[in-house]
Amino acid sequence: MAMAEEQMTRRRWLDMFVKMAAGVAAVALSVPTLVMLIVPAFRREKAPWIRVGHISEFRPNEPKAVTLSYQRRDGWVIRTARTTVYVVVMGDGKVKVLSNICTHASCVVRWERSKQAFFCPCHDGYFAIDGSVKSGPPPRPLDEFQHKIEGGEIFVRLRT
Amino acid sequence: MLRRFLDWLERETGLVSAWNRFWSQPLPATVGWGHIFGALLLLCLVILFVTGGAMMFYYSPTPDQAYPSVQYIEHYLPFGKFIRALHYWAARIIVLLLIVHLVRVFLWGAYKKPRQMIWVSGVLLLLCVIGFGLTGYALPWDQKAYWGTAVRLKIAEGIPLIGHAVANFLRGGEQLGAVTLMRFYVLHVFLLPILVFLLVAWHIRQVHVLGVTPAWVKVGHEGEIPKTQRLHPDHTARIAVGAILLLALLFWLSAKFPAPLEPRANPLDTAYKPHPDFYVLWLHELLKLFPPHLEFVGSFILPSLLVILLLIVPFIERNPERHPLRRLPAVTTGLVILFAIIALNIKGMEALPEPEKLSPLAKRGQELFVELRCYTCHGINGGGGPVGPDLGLGGKRDPKKVEAILRNPGAFNAHTVMPSYDLPPEEMKALVAYIVSIGPNSKMPPIPPVEPEKPPSHFEENWFANHKFEVRKDPASCGDCHKPFFCQACHQNRRPSSHDEQWLKFHFGNAAEQPAMCNACHTPDYCEECHKLMRHDTKWLKGHGNQLVKFGELKKWSDLTMHQLCYHCHTKQSCDECHKGALPESHKAPDFLQRHGELAGAWAQGAKTNQLAQNTAVRKTSHQVCVTCHTKQFCDNCHIGTKPKSHEQPDFVLGRGTRDGGQVKSGHAREALKKGLQSCQTCHKQEFCSNCHGTEMPHPQNFVSIHVREARKDMALCQRCHTWNEPECRQCHSKRPPSHTPDFRQTHPQRISDGGISCQVCHGRNACMDCHKLPMPHPRDFVKTHGELAKQKGIKGKDSVQQLQRQLCSTCHADRYCRLCHLPATSQR
Repeated sequence: MAMAEEQMTRRRWLDMFVKMAAGVAAVALSVPTLVMLIVPAFRREKAPWIRVGHISEFRPNEPKAVTLSYQRRDGWVIRTARTTVYVVVMGDGKVKVLSNICTHASCVVRWERSKQAFFCPCHDGYFAIDGSVKSGPPPRPLDEFQHKIEGGEIFVRLRT
Repeated sequence: MLRRFLDWLERETGLVSAWNRFWSQPLPATVGWGHIFGALLLLCLVILFVTGGAMMFYYSPTPDQAYPSVQYIEHYLPFGKFIRALHYWAARIIVLLLIVHLVRVFLWGAYKKPRQMIWVSGVLLLLCVIGFGLTGYALPWDQKAYWGTAVRLKIAEGIPLIGHAVANFLRGGEQLGAVTLMRFYVLHVFLLPILVFLLVAWHIRQVHVLGVTPAWVKVGHEGEIPKTQRLHPDHTARIAVGAILLLALLFWLSAKFPAPLEPRANPLDTAYKPHPDFYVLWLHELLKLFPPHLEFVGSFILPSLLVILLLIVPFIERNPERHPLRRLPAVTTGLVILFAIIALNIKGMEALPEPEKLSPLAKRGQELFVELRCYTCHGINGGGGPVGPDLGLGGKRDPKKVEAILRNPGAFNAHTVMPSYDLPPEEMKALVAYIVSIGPNSKMPPIPPVEPEKPPSHFEENWFANHKFEVRKDPASCGDCHKPFFCQACHQNRRPSSHDEQWLKFHFGNAAEQPAMCNACHTPDYCEECHKLMRHDTKWLKGHGNQLVKFGELKKWSDLTMHQLCYHCHTKQSCDECHKGALPESHKAPDFLQRHGELAGAWAQGAKTNQLAQNTAVRKTSHQVCVTCHTKQFCDNCHIGTKPKSHEQPDFVLGRGTRDGGQVKSGHAREALKKGLQSCQTCHKQEFCSNCHGTEMPHPQNFVSIHVREARKDMALCQRCHTWNEPECRQCHSKRPPSHTPDFRQTHPQRISDGGISCQVCHGRNACMDCHKLPMPHPRDFVKTHGELAKQKGIKGKDSVQQLQRQLCSTCHADRYCRLCHLPATSQR
């Protein structure tokens, strides 16, 4: 009886040991693997500051379209992307960097000097110089990009 | 909850009881530690499956993306490096474990009836693992992957009849490239895993059904060994210990030795030498045993025979005994083959290049090699940039020369783009030690990835040649990644081609248009260095004279005088605009006009001692001081006709006769020697001397060698200054010249062909007259006038002609010479 009991304890102990070893192996193997798979999903890369130009290149109340060319990292592929933005220097000297995509149907808007407005030719949308909707179907003002001015140079961050 | 689910599962499928049955399988008492290798192999396969599967999420099997995606796994993913290393090491350990397992099963005789097919499936699994190794090798698409695969396909091509077809099938054509990579990928991650899964399932199923072979029992007597243990937990405990040890080993290896990743595959890089992995070394050694036309015997026939032999072992070895000592022929054969393979492998390992053993100094040098980015231009047996020579080539190097090249590459090749490295002595010593140690077997040290990664443009083939044009498009974009002085690493000795001689004059326009271009190399205060002195603000005009002096002291451009600096932007006229009429202080003295010659001389003297003038390194004559503002014509306005006082001495121009024993005779020469030629050149140009002297004055250095030629032009010119008895002449001319042979007196008329000028050099102008008492050679009209000679010579009387003839003509002419014309009176009659 004592023998059998001893046998039982040994068995139980071995059983525990094997299960623990299996658990350790499983954890040791799965943790790095899962981390490698999951972490990139939550990694947020900060959008880089892209140089737009010197402030002296822009005149007040005269929006100017600037085409930006920048390197975009897509996993292990690096592409050169291009985006056009409107740089607006307001009368009071404040700078706005506006998207040139209409908020209604994503057409490309252009500055109409004669009408002093951004005009979207798709559905006759008009935006004021500060990007707010003047008339037409657009539901909200033109998107504005975050910008900063350092030493007279304007930089823009394209993703918010 | 879980119990209810398991009950349901059991009711529906019977899986739970099958699972329990599997683990509680009874095992013979003789099963022990030798039997854990199969399970460890399974663990290895699981690790490979898991790590490989994880990497599949990030790997892209195309030639242009495979390498970047592996780099991405290595450098951008958490645990990416570790997972790849784990895959790498598990793939190597599994081969070793397979061999151990195979040998164990062979020695235990576990393949004997009824377990023949377990052995066969095991051998097939071995082939699969080798297949994994061969295909997985190519996937990172680095140098080793590309060239190793190229070599293997080349070997496959050597098999007669089918070789080319097999190689082409694997390559997907004649060329090693995109199709090959995709084929290897699909084999590695799809076909082979399916095959392995099926084989493993079959293998384990059979082991489960037929049971583990008890040790050393004759075939058919297995039942005699009591089954005292169960698979779980008795044997699984042993497996668990082995598994923990194996995992610990793999984790340690993976953490300590990351999987190698060589530079990106470059099909054009012929300098690269691939070395086979350790477990196929014996195959490569086998190849070497055969002559080239029989290579296929080593590459194909013998390995195939070995595989066939392995497959049929259980069917040809039918000895019922299991104990190795009771079936010696089979065991001996097996061991001989095994040891032959091991021996070949050891031989192959010896043939492998010695891993570089770097001294601590060279090790530091290697770090510097990476730190200084030498690899951007230089490869080491492949890898590295294409700009400089590959350091693996070219034999032994002389440390002194290496150091000299590092310090000043331009001294060895004027067109080199290599920057000079002025390192501290210890670092230089280390770097030189490393470069000298590089040989044909050295490898490029691991290169850390550059952050942020290079844009695609930098990978273009002609990027290095074209970067100057790209920079011009948008100089600021370089600054996004590179530090401000990145360019200067190479350009410190090389100005851009735009910076030519005229550059300084025109740089302002370029700098105003594109200041960023300047900032690519120069710091913003670089302009200030000059321009804070040169800034033409409101105060500028007042002190600009002094500023110019200061600027000269800066020694910025030593080859420029102060005024030349102004002329980079201004013309001379722009100074005149103001300075016309505005006199310098010196000019305001009342006696300036009288003393200006003296002053000009003083300024000239000052130029020799003046610190400023020495700095500007300009040899200024007094004239040049005046010429700063005045034109030369300005002097001529007055000086035409007016001479300095010295010029009024009577012997100033021609002072003959006063010379005695080396003393200069004429006044102007005395003056010139005393005051120096510069004082003459205050007013006169050098040509002024030459104009009168008829030869370059003062005599040029090589005058001695040309003085005979010059003298022949006009002896009179020499005689203006020199007499024939001057000691300088006598130094050479004291001896008879070689032309004056003993019969010279008789033959000299024939020798003198140049009008006697050469005689005059030594004998004086009247040399001929002294002897001949006649102009010699006779002038052209001598025939007409020779009759008058007697009168001229004052010879009178009846037979004056005969007298004359006797005195003069007979020196040269015979009596009958006259009779050629003057016929005797008798014959006239």
